[in-house]
Amino acid sequence: MRLLGFSAVLLLSFAVSPSLHAQVGGEMTPPLSLRNASYSIDVRLDPATRTITASEVITWRNITSRSVDDLRFHLYWNAWRDDRSSWQRERALVRTPPRDMQPGDRASLDISSLRVTGSGGPVDLTTRLRFIAPDDNNADDRTVLQAPLPQAAGPGTTLTIEVAWTAHVPRPVARTGAVGDFFFIAQWFPKLGVLEDGGWNCHQFHASTEFFSDYGVYDVRMTVPKGWPVGATGVARERRANTDGTETLRYYQEDVHDFAWTTSPDALERTARFEYPSLPSVELRLLLRPEHASQAERHFEGARTALRLYGEWFGAYPYGHLTIVDPAYQSGAGGMEYPTLITAGTRWLTPAGTADPEDVVIHETGHQFFYGIVGSNEFENAWMDEGINTFAEARVMDARQATYYSQRYFGGFIPFVFRDIRLDREHMWNRLAGYRRAATTDRQSTPSYRYYPATGGLITYNKTALWLNTMERWLGWPTVQRTLSTFFVRWQFKHPTPEDFFHIANDVAGRDLSWYFDQVYRGSSTFDYGIQELRSAADGGGRFRTEVVVRRYGDATFPIDVRTTFDDGEQVTEHWDGRERWQLYVYERTAKARTAEADPARVLLLDVNETNNSRTLRPQGEAAATKWSLKWMVWLQDCLLSWSVFV
Amino acid sequence: MTPVQAWRDGLRRVAAAPSIIVGVWVMTSLISLPLALSLRGDLARHLGSSLAADAAASGVNYEWMQEFTDQASGIGLTFRPTILGFGAVLDNLSAFVDNTARPVLIVGAAAAYMAFWLFAAGGIIDRYARDRVTGVHGFFSASGVFFFRFLRLAIVMFVVYGLLFGYVHPWLFDRLYPRLVRSVDVERVAFSIRAGLYLAFGLVLGGCNLIFDYAKVRAVVEDRRSALGALVSGVRFVRRNPGATITLYALDVALFAATLAAYAVAAPGAGGAGWSMWIGFGIAQLYILARLCVKLIFWASETALFQGRLAHAGYVAAPQLAWPDSPTAEALQR
Repeated sequence: MRLLGFSAVLLLSFAVSPSLHAQVGGEMTPPLSLRNASYSIDVRLDPATRTITASEVITWRNITSRSVDDLRFHLYWNAWRDDRSSWQRERALVRTPPRDMQPGDRASLDISSLRVTGSGGPVDLTTRLRFIAPDDNNADDRTVLQAPLPQAAGPGTTLTIEVAWTAHVPRPVARTGAVGDFFFIAQWFPKLGVLEDGGWNCHQFHASTEFFSDYGVYDVRMTVPKGWPVGATGVARERRANTDGTETLRYYQEDVHDFAWTTSPDALERTARFEYPSLPSVELRLLLRPEHASQAERHFEGARTALRLYGEWFGAYPYGHLTIVDPAYQSGAGGMEYPTLITAGTRWLTPAGTADPEDVVIHETGHQFFYGIVGSNEFENAWMDEGINTFAEARVMDARQATYYSQRYFGGFIPFVFRDIRLDREHMWNRLAGYRRAATTDRQSTPSYRYYPATGGLITYNKTALWLNTMERWLGWPTVQRTLSTFFVRWQFKHPTPEDFFHIANDVAGRDLSWYFDQVYRGSSTFDYGIQELRSAADGGGRFRTEVVVRRYGDATFPIDVRTTFDDGEQVTEHWDGRERWQLYVYERTAKARTAEADPARVLLLDVNETNNSRTLRPQGEAAATKWSLKWMVWLQDCLLSWSVFV
Repeated sequence: MTPVQAWRDGLRRVAAAPSIIVGVWVMTSLISLPLALSLRGDLARHLGSSLAADAAASGVNYEWMQEFTDQASGIGLTFRPTILGFGAVLDNLSAFVDNTARPVLIVGAAAAYMAFWLFAAGGIIDRYARDRVTGVHGFFSASGVFFFRFLRLAIVMFVVYGLLFGYVHPWLFDRLYPRLVRSVDVERVAFSIRAGLYLAFGLVLGGCNLIFDYAKVRAVVEDRRSALGALVSGVRFVRRNPGATITLYALDVALFAATLAAYAVAAPGAGGAGWSMWIGFGIAQLYILARLCVKLIFWASETALFQGRLAHAGYVAAPQLAWPDSPTAEALQR
């Protein structure tokens, strides 16, 4: 796509600014997306048998330039049908499957009929359906369903697809399922993949990637036991009592690409409103567990903070409403995003100063922007939503009140806050420690679903946050903010690729950053610069000869500053392009050198070893080691005393 | 003698023998020191002449801590923020009740520490039973005499505690607990169940501990040579005095809890590397001393109760121990 100049982008952003759109009851006027995949769904939940019976009518339009002779559907829940799915096989690489699985714990999704209506009359394709495994040819995987069309659907063709199915709600797995009376129903309906000019983009369900679908209108009628509060994507439009002790709630939302819902008789409902002068107001609805009743305001505060800062930095949240679900204990549904609905996640004991629930609410609210509004392909480029959002989340957390390191004890129930350790953005919120351990495990440009499952998240979340924050410290926040806001505005309600992002970054920065993206995105090399030598000795003439050797220990390169500080307070800063393996700087001064630092401003946050970045001729290493070994010794003494109970 | 009287008498007996408190503190420190010095060397090498040390010296350099732990092995893996202040106590207590594995070197140090207590137990209980100064000579004589008896008792203790932590605990917390909370969707309920299991396990553990304590007390006070006989008589004493022994044990446990509570308030934070480091270390050592005193009070108060209930008050059946002269001295005497 041809890049627009920045001023043109700004004009465009005003022209399509969501804040200028009217939204009432889930309707968005004028439309924000192409709405080429719309779903009208009727679903009935039987909590006793944990079964859902449903039917849907999909109105799909071919918006590509090619004809297509089949349809492809995601049937996510079949990933948990048995242990042979690709999802289960990948998950088994990371963790041992639960030993206590019972037959009713599994999920399943069985299509009972599928009819397609195109230019001719309806055609029943039920008997022609077959499962395919485009990613790994796993014949046992049943998460992608292929329906051959009776005749090819050319560009612009509209098809109406009627699907009926039954599904079994699993014991919680991957943010979906039921525990007790809490039901969280996500990834639950047969959903079309995305048809691109290159063909269907409809990946199997993998252990560490989740979404990609077209925008449309969702009109969903959910039948649940009477009196059970429901939270769902969109806005409730109708509530109808049935004669069988159930009631049907209709939720409606335009310009979204997914739909999730939840119900539980225990949920408490709280409401609040986000208002800010330059942003559209948002009605906040919180479905809260009774044991967390006192934490309602913490949830709202997180959502308000994210809506305000993301809104100011990137663009406004257009939908006017947001539902926050506080999931049940052991539901595994916490920390997840769906259009206009997020799940938070808190604990019964959550003292002030700990990160959650605010952090998780901020992160998931942030996904309304990067995932919900900018519809990148999470199967292939998970960093474009998770990574960018982690970067922004870290920035938001840094702007909030102090948060401290905490640890949970006694089976993970009892928290303790270490007030000496304030969590900072550069290391903690960007999750540097996790990245350090996984830095070379995968190139980020590898399709995300092919990442090694145990470390994929670290490449997706942590590395992106670090390289974006590095860009911020290198090019300045205005450049990164404009890059992200331009990306947000230009690609809202569309499907951007990584190249689209890089083009915008180059354009906004006014320079070619490809060498940087080649390393952080297309490569898996690590950055590690350090001071190898610092010598400063009298030369006999009343002056001191100082030698500083800075070395590139990692394979990746980045220009860095090298600062030498002398005893008289003088500082000399050199700029090194960082390409050679080492560089020598020699100074003749009247004062002796005190310190030498590579990258003293800590621009390169991807540097995996910060300790070697500096040297001083007045080292405190011994003193620090004494202090910390004494603290550790007390821990050990206490540890020994706990064992002495055996004697 | 009532449990409260025994408890107060135990406090008095421990206070009357400060050299024992100092001695066990020295041993606790001596066993910890080599590992602490080893870790200190690792930390100093990792910091080298980096400026990261300045931040680590003046406060907490959490980024450096993470860097260090990422490349560490052995005891270095235990160098985490949880060593700070009262977090260290919670870390150890939680690891104990949750049966968390520790690195081999830590287990080795703990084994050495238990061996020390096994050796010293005879001398300590003998001192408290006599309730008078026994001197270094008497202390080590008693320790030496009872060490091998306690070593035999330790085999039984090893089996019992091994069963408790090797089978009962995993069954309770890795099998039963997940089953009990399988469909629980309220965290408080899950915690209540876990707390109940902690209590159940704690009662069994405490019961065993109580019996083994009285076995040791009876072995020393009555000069029993048979470890099994001492164990049986320990059981018998507890069975015949359940209210008193359990109440006394509960008082001792309450003292332990009070000690932890006091340290929760007074525990030093990160501090700096100068005088504040030593003040912090001093406060922490006062806590360690208090913990040691609590352990000694368990034995002293149980000894007092036993002597008050069964044995003649202040009477110790064991004859005055006499360290044998050297072979040379004996030859000269002949």
